[in-house]
Amino acid sequence: MAMGAMRMSINEKQFIETALRENQRVDGRTPFDFRRLVINFSKDDSAEVQLGQTRVLAVVSAQLVQPYPDRPNEGTLAIFTEFSPMADPGFEPGRPGEMAVELGRIIDRGLRESKAVDTESLCVLAGRSVWAIRLDIHILDNSGNLIDAANLAALAALLSFRRPECTLGGPDGQDIIVHPPEVREPLALSIHHLPIAVTFAFLGDGDLLVLDPSLKEEMVMGGRLTITVNMHGEVCGVQKGGGVGVSASELMRCLRLASTKAAVLTETLKKVVEVHETERAQRKIRRHHNFTALSHAGAIVDTRVTEREVEMDDAIENTTVTESKEDTVMLGTVKVLEEGEIRHEDGASNFKQNGEDDEQERVEVHKEEKPKVALLTEQSEIMFEGGMSGWVDTKSTSLKAVGKDSAHPLDLEALVEFDKVAKGMLKESISLQEKPREVVATPLQHQIQGSQIAAATVYAKLSSQHQDKASRPLGPIFPRSSDVEAMEEEGLRGDLGNLISVTAETLSGAATDPSQVTEAVPIDTPLNLLAAVKKKVKNRKKGAVVKD
Amino acid sequence: MDVESSVPGAGSPFVNRIMAPGDVVLDLTKASNVLRLGSGLRQDGDNIAMTKVGRLQFKKPNKYWVEGSQKRYIPNTEDVVLGIVVDRRFEMFVVDIGGPTYASLPMLAFEGATRRNTPNLQVGAALYARVVKAHRDIDPELCCTDASGKAAGFGPLNGGYVLECSTGLARVLLSKPTSPVLEALGKSLSFEIAVGMNGRVWVNAATTATTILVSNAILNSEFLTAAQQHIMVQKLLQKSQ
Repeated sequence: MAMGAMRMSINEKQFIETALRENQRVDGRTPFDFRRLVINFSKDDSAEVQLGQTRVLAVVSAQLVQPYPDRPNEGTLAIFTEFSPMADPGFEPGRPGEMAVELGRIIDRGLRESKAVDTESLCVLAGRSVWAIRLDIHILDNSGNLIDAANLAALAALLSFRRPECTLGGPDGQDIIVHPPEVREPLALSIHHLPIAVTFAFLGDGDLLVLDPSLKEEMVMGGRLTITVNMHGEVCGVQKGGGVGVSASELMRCLRLASTKAAVLTETLKKVVEVHETERAQRKIRRHHNFTALSHAGAIVDTRVTEREVEMDDAIENTTVTESKEDTVMLGTVKVLEEGEIRHEDGASNFKQNGEDDEQERVEVHKEEKPKVALLTEQSEIMFEGGMSGWVDTKSTSLKAVGKDSAHPLDLEALVEFDKVAKGMLKESISLQEKPREVVATPLQHQIQGSQIAAATVYAKLSSQHQDKASRPLGPIFPRSSDVEAMEEEGLRGDLGNLISVTAETLSGAATDPSQVTEAVPIDTPLNLLAAVKKKVKNRKKGAVVKD
Repeated sequence: MDVESSVPGAGSPFVNRIMAPGDVVLDLTKASNVLRLGSGLRQDGDNIAMTKVGRLQFKKPNKYWVEGSQKRYIPNTEDVVLGIVVDRRFEMFVVDIGGPTYASLPMLAFEGATRRNTPNLQVGAALYARVVKAHRDIDPELCCTDASGKAAGFGPLNGGYVLECSTGLARVLLSKPTSPVLEALGKSLSFEIAVGMNGRVWVNAATTATTILVSNAILNSEFLTAAQQHIMVQKLLQKSQ
């Protein structure tokens, strides 16, 4: 063994095997338990997987290249692994060692040869230009079972990656125009299924089998077997390199075990990716400059953040201030804008790190009897792109004017609704993944409806379509009649579809005159895309139990 | 390292504080007596500066050293360490103690060892030894007896399980009064442990379950307060019953 690699004593080897014969593992697991799995995404869509102490980072990038001559219609997928010397004293910088090559090969086989990633959809111009997808896997910390962790990281990165949309144009229709993400929404890769790698280690004389070996178990194992299988039970790859022999029946047993575990891991992976998608949609909303936006970039499943999320109640209650003080725990509030004054928020210091009851000030929404609403605020960056909003002449508006007679009456409420929906989705996903805690009370998760989620999607789609300042109508971007058909294809519920068409019609007239609203919407209520949904939300809220 | 100084003065104002490498802790022109510098400090012209991250410690009348916690062990004289035999050479064993270089252990450095009667240690055997010579330019040397030649607990360790931890945790486990986690475990379980300052701990108990429980409790206790350590041990004991 190299000087740098870790040493094992005979005592440890014997102890590990003795303990396994009693069905115990050194870290307290049973032989077929996975370690704790945490998947994080960051803003550039890279995925980091922590499996126990093992940490792997994967990131996907794409480039337009010429295709291989024998496959002119297909794009390519290439996998590169990097074993950082920080991860393990045995990793040397420079040429990839045997382990690195094997890991890359296993993941490559799982993804490419099972056609998990559809390469034909990566073709732009047959024979001339295709997308080459490059997947980089970085090993950050080696604590055993790099293959499974790297595979999960690769899948998470591929699922969250978005490539730019490109169209053919130019004088002869042969030029490829790649649209930047602000202009056209980037597209996801077409992934047919998720091949999950499950690694077994054979200890003793090949008679002791463990799943997800830790670093010490890997150092004393006699052989290793990796099975790549998807949740439908289709085997995508089997890798057994050297070591003790394994009987056929043992192999079948491993296949069955791997299949079960793969189903569980696929569920977890899908949930985490879905939460990340909601976050991404939230980030795209262009917010009014007076409100700091809401985002939870980064850790989703991490328990630390989860605890914070759970303590943070749905503070957006339509109740009076005194009630909400007792009932809710605020994470932070937006500072009050004095009458006639504008304070341009730079978003700093609104976020209280410890989630205590810091009710300093409230946002004064309406001057009438409409109750005060507190917004949840977050970390110190403003999440809309491109700086200040161009919708409004900032000098002449004040928060006080936000009400039913302002230029965009729906902004606050719609934003609040959307945040509730997204928050609920996030909470629901998180609470499903975590073990139940005593402090958890998520009334919001019962209120999530398909229509609310659809509303969230609507906002995400709308705000991403580019409009230059001159052509933008006054007020927030509402669905136009051309968009209604697009949305109906998504299978929205009927009531929301009706509401949208109603709103579209009313908007085609004078934008700011509420008296032209049809009888479907009561006159005094501000035009609200989600009015129908909101009523249902309100009714449910009366019965909801707020935790404390 | 003995350092001479000529001017009478006060001790360092930074004792018991956490400092970073490069921080000057004492100006020698103000020191009054001969100072002994332990690990983590070095003389830099007229100053004493830190070379490690850690807490500056002082013992009367004149000893300064730095206590930090890291995974890599730097050998110091009179440390007790847990080593693993790597090779057997003429008249000595080569032992891995987790430091920058391997250490050497003379074959005669055992109780009752003579030229005819040398200990029979296999490659991979774990042993408990103390560091006799340690300097940054030479390979450290170990000894499996105490100063008077008796075994005193040193020597090869049989059975049990060896776990790795940081040097800070190892120091806490060796300190007096007994660390809270060991106290809590000792109340309900019987086991024996050997802690090496190089971040290795050998645990042995009658059953494998107890050994696993003790080793996990020790690893978990690193960043917990005393009360939390007690609670953690209670929870582990309950779960195992």
